[in-house]
Amino acid sequence: MPKLGRLFVAFCFAIAATMVSAQEKTGIKQGFQLQPGTARILLLEPSVRVGSQSTGGLFEPNADWTEQAKNNLERELSEVQGRLGNRVDRHELDGSSASAKLHDYNALFGAVASSVIEYQFFLGNRLPSKKKDKNEFSWSVGPGLKDVPALKGYDYILMIRTKDAFGSAGRKLLQIAAAFGGVGVTAGEHIGMAGLIDIRTGELVWLNADLQMGGDVRTTEGAVKRVSQLLEGFPGRGVQ
Amino acid sequence: MKLLTLLTGLTLVVSTSANAHKLIEPGLREGVAGGVFSVSVPTTMNRLQQKEGKFQEIWTVDGDGLNKIIFFGGVPDGEALLRQRDKKNNPLPRFNSKMLLAEIPAYLETSYRSYYGSPKVNIGEMSPVQFLNQKGIRFDYKYMSVEDEVVRSGMGYATVKEQKLYMIIFEAPEIFFYGRDIGVFEKIASSLRLL
Amino acid sequence: MMALSKALLRVAAVTCLASPSLGADTYTLPPYSPAYEPRTLDERGLWMEADVHEKRLAGSPMRIRDDHLSQYVRDVLCRTVGSDRCGGVRVYIVDIPAFNATMMPNGAMSVWSGLLLRVRSEAELGAVLGHEFAHFELRHSLLGFQNRRSNSDLAAWIQVLGAIAQRDVSDTQLSIVGSVYRFNREQEKQADLLGLKYLKSSPYPSRSASEVWQHLMEEADATAAGRMIRKKHQYSAGFFDTHPTELNRADYLLEEALKFNDPGEAGAKEHYKAVEKYLPRFLSSQIRLNDFGGTEYIVSGIAGHTGWTGALLQARADMYVSRGNVRDLITATTLYLNAIDSGYQRPEIYRGLGLGLIKLGRNDDGRKYLKLYLENVPDAQDKKMIQLYIDDAGGE
Repeated sequence: MPKLGRLFVAFCFAIAATMVSAQEKTGIKQGFQLQPGTARILLLEPSVRVGSQSTGGLFEPNADWTEQAKNNLERELSEVQGRLGNRVDRHELDGSSASAKLHDYNALFGAVASSVIEYQFFLGNRLPSKKKDKNEFSWSVGPGLKDVPALKGYDYILMIRTKDAFGSAGRKLLQIAAAFGGVGVTAGEHIGMAGLIDIRTGELVWLNADLQMGGDVRTTEGAVKRVSQLLEGFPGRGVQ
Repeated sequence: MKLLTLLTGLTLVVSTSANAHKLIEPGLREGVAGGVFSVSVPTTMNRLQQKEGKFQEIWTVDGDGLNKIIFFGGVPDGEALLRQRDKKNNPLPRFNSKMLLAEIPAYLETSYRSYYGSPKVNIGEMSPVQFLNQKGIRFDYKYMSVEDEVVRSGMGYATVKEQKLYMIIFEAPEIFFYGRDIGVFEKIASSLRLL
Repeated sequence: MMALSKALLRVAAVTCLASPSLGADTYTLPPYSPAYEPRTLDERGLWMEADVHEKRLAGSPMRIRDDHLSQYVRDVLCRTVGSDRCGGVRVYIVDIPAFNATMMPNGAMSVWSGLLLRVRSEAELGAVLGHEFAHFELRHSLLGFQNRRSNSDLAAWIQVLGAIAQRDVSDTQLSIVGSVYRFNREQEKQADLLGLKYLKSSPYPSRSASEVWQHLMEEADATAAGRMIRKKHQYSAGFFDTHPTELNRADYLLEEALKFNDPGEAGAKEHYKAVEKYLPRFLSSQIRLNDFGGTEYIVSGIAGHTGWTGALLQARADMYVSRGNVRDLITATTLYLNAIDSGYQRPEIYRGLGLGLIKLGRNDDGRKYLKLYLENVPDAQDKKMIQLYIDDAGGE
């Protein structure tokens, strides 16, 4: 794994600390509407990771937290998915070669979402060509998506990813120390994103993303809050 | 979770100044890659603030993860293609002006292995072409990025003039993006001139 | 399909404390009992992550899905640690040109192609696999993880004082298959000793463990020499990063092995037979690493067992071409010709030789070989490029 210059990384963090506030959270394809009762949505197995962040910034997975969070989020999702206005089915991602294509697309969803967040949502880093039309949101993985066998019979993919790293006590102290020194050190991360992809066209029609999400996902209430944030403004939802 | 890699991305250096990245309007543009090239731009693009080496300039439409064009404006004999991150333990191969054009793709591959830690780069077709008004090579390649596990396809044009390497490459995910944007790249490459 | 975490029921481990003792008698293997459940918070966290990682590893494009090769590795593992222990282990071979093998807490083992290239016998392969299995049996991954945490805590405080922050955000397959777990010297020693016990009970000579380290250190020295860096005899990069090694590690392994006094068939021939098909591919990836000295060492090491086969001569020639100094071209040319003379007439040799001769100004000879190349590979990817040289050599 290539080594990163430390100043490099430090600079990024310092900027990130200031930039978190100057960030948009949602994008939606211009004019996109989803009528309730008209679509079948495939929820790809959500990626849920919960752990703590040590003083050194290391992510330490915590089994109990992850299991709790996964259960809470899945439960809440299955509660809510009935109220999204359209039918939602869940799909497990396994390691078989039959699902290789879906894996490839899943990786690509991540790359597209990252680009949206990095070059559109972050106002200070927005690509100039995307500044002209504030309402423009055209991101796609292309027309090949509809040919993936596992997606047959579905109209949209719902992709959900969360990662929560709770700052340890050491990390919190470090953050205070760093704040005095003007160095940006994030304490805990609560990253989440939810994206809706039109299978027929491959377009990312909707994306919610936040690097500082609310709700402690280890608790039921927290998961409720988190899912509500993730799916805030979900197209075609009707009354919230 | 690749969101974190945003903040520690290999090429991300963000400035809080208003116009970190520059808009590239369609039309003739001069002075690309350190004043070396002129190019005819067919469509609106962006010049990224960051680069991975001294002799580079990077353009993109949607972000370097989805499409990027890199200009190499005259890498001299003895210099590496990209920034030397760890000269001792992981040195990048240096350009040797005696390289045959047919050896340039392998040179790019070795540089990528070292710079990106990429386990494998597959070189595809190679053909002789006119590039910058002299004999050059066109080649394509494919590799999987270790950062986001996306397979990317690439195409390059290169030539050696006065012991310097002039090259332009285009990379995009193999699914959809490469096919969509390769035409723009070809136009740019064919319009490239040395100033 | 059975959840991977249920596979742990089939995977046996010593059901003892986190720091198990190895028994008073240093020669006998501790008893092995099936049924193991991760218990502590950290442990379960690691198993869960391991299950997820294994799923992705199983579907990874970096994986070499060759049943023969996988079976070979499994057979060596089973011969080394015994069938009781190797029962539930899943082996994945990954095409990464570095020396490494890893074992996840749930019993999934990855073996990198760089490892298969470097070990010189079944016994050496068994020594490495056994060593990794020992970490697993001793449940070091848990302890290693905790150790890693405290190391980075310290580093973080120092860095803040130095106004630099650091974070490990690696979340890719490379980090999954790679060195996720770091062990300290004490754990390395424990794994070495348990590994030696496996070897003693196996048909393999236990001194092979020592030989592995000797070769790695020699290779590191050769790499440094090739880069004109002073040898430090302090090995810290690459594999050594997660397997801290002192100069005397090879020594104490040898010393222990001599006590066992267990000669045996190392199985060098068998190993090279098993990997023969892949050797050109592994060597080609190795050459791309831009490590002349280290590659030379590896190639010569293989030649010591198999003789200078055509594949090795070609690899050596490619190496010199890659370095590209003035005299290197002449050396490469000679080596290519030797390979051809030995009866190893691969198209890539014709290509390399042809281009080299052209660079040396021997255009007619160069053209001859390039023509041979295209005759052998009429639909070569670089056909048009090579044809240009044939038509117009000297016009570059």
